[in-house]
Amino acid sequence: MVFNTLFQPLKFRSFTVKNRIFRSSISGRFDNYDGSGNQARINWEVKFARGSVGAIISSYVPVNIRGRIMPNYATIDDDDKIPFWQAVGRAVHQYDCRYILQLSHSGRQQDIPGVENEFERSLSSTDRVEGFHGLISRFMTIEEIEQTIDDFAEGARRAQEAGLDGVELHGANGYLITQFLSSAINTRKDKYGGSLENRARFVRQIVKAIRKKVGHNFHLQMKISAMDYNNALFFWEKRGTTLEDSIQVCKWLVEDGVDAIHVSAGNMFPHPRNPMGDFPIEHAVRWYDVMLSSGIYTHRNYLFFRNSLLKPIFKYLWLRSEERPENIEGANTPQARAIRESIRSIDDTVPVICTGGFQTASKICHVIEQGYCDAVSIARPLIANNNMVNGYFAQGREIPQEKRCTYCNKCLLNVLENPLGCYELSRYDGDYKAMIHEVMSVYHPRPCYITDGHHSQHTVDTNISSVIGGDDAEDA
Amino acid sequence: MPRTRRYQAYENTPVEIELKRRAARCLWCLAVILLIILLLLAFRYAPNRPVTYANIVDHFKYGSIGSDMENGLPLRIMKVLPRMFSEYLPPGSPQDYTAFGFIQEKGKEMPIGFSIRRRIIDLVGLNCAACHVGLVRASIQSEPKVYLGMPADTVDLLAFFDFLFQCAADSRFTPEKILPEIEKDGYLLPTDRYIYTIAITEMRAGLLARKAQLDVFLTPGHPRFGPGRVDTFNPYKVNQFAQWYRQGIPQIEQVGTADFPSIWNQKVREGMHLHWDGNNTSLRERNFSAAFGAGATRENVDEQAIDRVQKWVETLPPPAYPFARTNDPKLLARGKAIYDRYCFACHDIHGQYVGQVLPLAEIRTDEHRLNSYTQKLRDLQLAYGQGYDWQFKHFIKTNGYANVPLDGIWARAPYLHNGSVPTLQDLLTPAERRADRLLYQEGKTGGARSIFYVGHGVYDPKNVGFRIDVKEVDGRRSFAYDITQTGNSNKGHTGQRYGTELSDSDKWALIEYLKTL
Repeated sequence: MVFNTLFQPLKFRSFTVKNRIFRSSISGRFDNYDGSGNQARINWEVKFARGSVGAIISSYVPVNIRGRIMPNYATIDDDDKIPFWQAVGRAVHQYDCRYILQLSHSGRQQDIPGVENEFERSLSSTDRVEGFHGLISRFMTIEEIEQTIDDFAEGARRAQEAGLDGVELHGANGYLITQFLSSAINTRKDKYGGSLENRARFVRQIVKAIRKKVGHNFHLQMKISAMDYNNALFFWEKRGTTLEDSIQVCKWLVEDGVDAIHVSAGNMFPHPRNPMGDFPIEHAVRWYDVMLSSGIYTHRNYLFFRNSLLKPIFKYLWLRSEERPENIEGANTPQARAIRESIRSIDDTVPVICTGGFQTASKICHVIEQGYCDAVSIARPLIANNNMVNGYFAQGREIPQEKRCTYCNKCLLNVLENPLGCYELSRYDGDYKAMIHEVMSVYHPRPCYITDGHHSQHTVDTNISSVIGGDDAEDA
Repeated sequence: MPRTRRYQAYENTPVEIELKRRAARCLWCLAVILLIILLLLAFRYAPNRPVTYANIVDHFKYGSIGSDMENGLPLRIMKVLPRMFSEYLPPGSPQDYTAFGFIQEKGKEMPIGFSIRRRIIDLVGLNCAACHVGLVRASIQSEPKVYLGMPADTVDLLAFFDFLFQCAADSRFTPEKILPEIEKDGYLLPTDRYIYTIAITEMRAGLLARKAQLDVFLTPGHPRFGPGRVDTFNPYKVNQFAQWYRQGIPQIEQVGTADFPSIWNQKVREGMHLHWDGNNTSLRERNFSAAFGAGATRENVDEQAIDRVQKWVETLPPPAYPFARTNDPKLLARGKAIYDRYCFACHDIHGQYVGQVLPLAEIRTDEHRLNSYTQKLRDLQLAYGQGYDWQFKHFIKTNGYANVPLDGIWARAPYLHNGSVPTLQDLLTPAERRADRLLYQEGKTGGARSIFYVGHGVYDPKNVGFRIDVKEVDGRRSFAYDITQTGNSNKGHTGQRYGTELSDSDKWALIEYLKTL
């Protein structure tokens, strides 16, 4: 079978992507504590570039330290980070893969504040306590809003200077931009809260600021949660942002000069509808402890995870709004199509990328051919199969059932304390060592060590020193 | 910025601050909840407050005089005892306190004469009405009519206490047996169960101690009080003054049984010698002395409540004779003339000798009641109230019995201080012939007994008094009053001066007149 649709190039205003598979934003805590990147991150991104995805959307990249979700994620808060991102870009570009940096700010959704933020209330569109972990926040001042808008614009400028292909605003999954957009979260009474227009003001000002800073030829896309599903976990809460709200926001953003829309779901992360699948409580018991000091409800959650009587209650609440496993793939496509159809009436060159459990070529081809979206973004199934595109789809094959992502979400829970990777032992035929070996492969090749100003010997193409040094050596 | 202030910002993370704030809030909530619980408990258990009544009649019948404090008995236990220990009730009687002649009104927890006080739990105690509300029936079948202030002709106090003592001595008087019975009347809160567990044990111990004190009156040789009578002063000797009577009550003083008096029209009695032997001339002291007899203690006696009753009984009118009587003015005039001649000086409110003590040598009625009150007891009584407002100052030891006014005399049968003479007609019969009308019984241990039945309330309008022959009413057996027992003699108040020598027609004329008083 030939999946031609998959391999149709996708044309953005400023560049073309070779196929319709995007690596969605995902990363582990690979980087240095202070937000400077390191070799493991490059190794991580190269895994997917080498697997022939058309483009990589970086993991969550904070525009300032206040806006990070946890330490050990590379940031773009300062010009001194430009060389690292340049290195990432060059390493990925070697495989004809585009690299889009995801500009992000956690707002109140700060899983582990880190020592720099430890004594600060996180900034948000509300001062209400977040319902799941019990994260604390306060209203941003107008000055802080303006500063943050500028930080986003500066982040875009740095990405541009680093030679990356574009940026994505992380306006989905409960981070700061969602916190402004969401009618369930935003409790501001000023021009940034209340009506949809007011709630969208923050992101539209970011778009305008970025455009002002980087011009109109630098790719800028928006990731948006088409629906809040605010009552997915706690049924007594209100529903939050509707699809109609999101369509309107997307229309405004396209008018403002956004080049693509990336459709996701849910107004927090993780969310019962993103990433969909199981909630592996046994892994939560092992790794959630790192968050115990982060929120006021974390002890409650941990009690629910540990206590065998409470566990089923949590499972029920979490899974009650889930799709059945066979419906996970492409679960967001109806919303993506609605958005796509709406924005095409304004600008038919603005593609829509849809995320949500994609891992079969036929399904991806189907949704693209049927006009649900123009491309798909994939995270967990690509972690499971880095070579999804060139190892299977390019050869006209689907991934064998036993190798597919099971949507177990063990990767999601492990990322809190362990290197990101696929922790589904069944995919390794029960070989635990093989699983660990695969997970640890992100640390290969090793970083070079600078001692007394001299680089150690390394000749690997993706080695940080060679890339930063502009030495584009081929694979040894 | 001072160093310490600079550091303060880094002492707690926002999460820690919020958790502390919430913990403090939780503590406040807990404190408030705890306070509410405490208040509820306090509201439920803490007040030491009797049930009060705005209406004076209700206050008289059910109000507290303080006897429900120290000697109060738990209401809910009291309510189950007649059910649980029915074998100790008089045979055939209903399983409630009417078995002892108390008058039960509909909708009331306890009969007339019992007050209720909330002191942790509901306690009951006796009040004035226990001994001073009587009932009268026109016939065995007719409904009784209740008269306030009338001697409680049906109430057998000693039998009531004897019942309680027998219950307490029973092996079933335990929390395990009594609590389930209490719960049949209504749910007990866990706190209540705990309190009642203690209360049952305490009540048992208290009753057994009281039984030991009163045993002297319950021993087989001691004449039973029967309905309508009580030993007024001897209980002091085994209770309040027990330490001065360690050798027991001397033989000569041991029987002091007296008929309950009426308590209406008290104002005119102020200054008269009160009590049968006239040992006190103060109404108030007489009242407090009676309250102690009902179970109040000098610490807890409720002065206001007693004074309120006193004020009311000062002017409470005697009840009118409820049966047919003559309207013949001639007959009444004749009766009045005889009254004026024979009775007035000693028994009329305006009489020369009313309220004074007539020496025993003259009246020659039964001496036991007089002997039961002694100089020693009088001295102890005066010392008992030292430091209290009500302190006794007027008690004296007398040498006879007091002349009492005859208001409502029809309702004060049986007559004489010991209730040994059933009717006025009998009282106008020479003492040596008074037994002739009585019933003859073989004594259980041999010997003859002259008896008449009391405690049934069935009236004898002809002779003016209660019928002597009614053995049972509504299943409750009457008490056979035996005039041959110690202290029960019907002697005295006899001879020409006392009208026993009058012709029959004079006597009937006098009796007709006495009905009008």
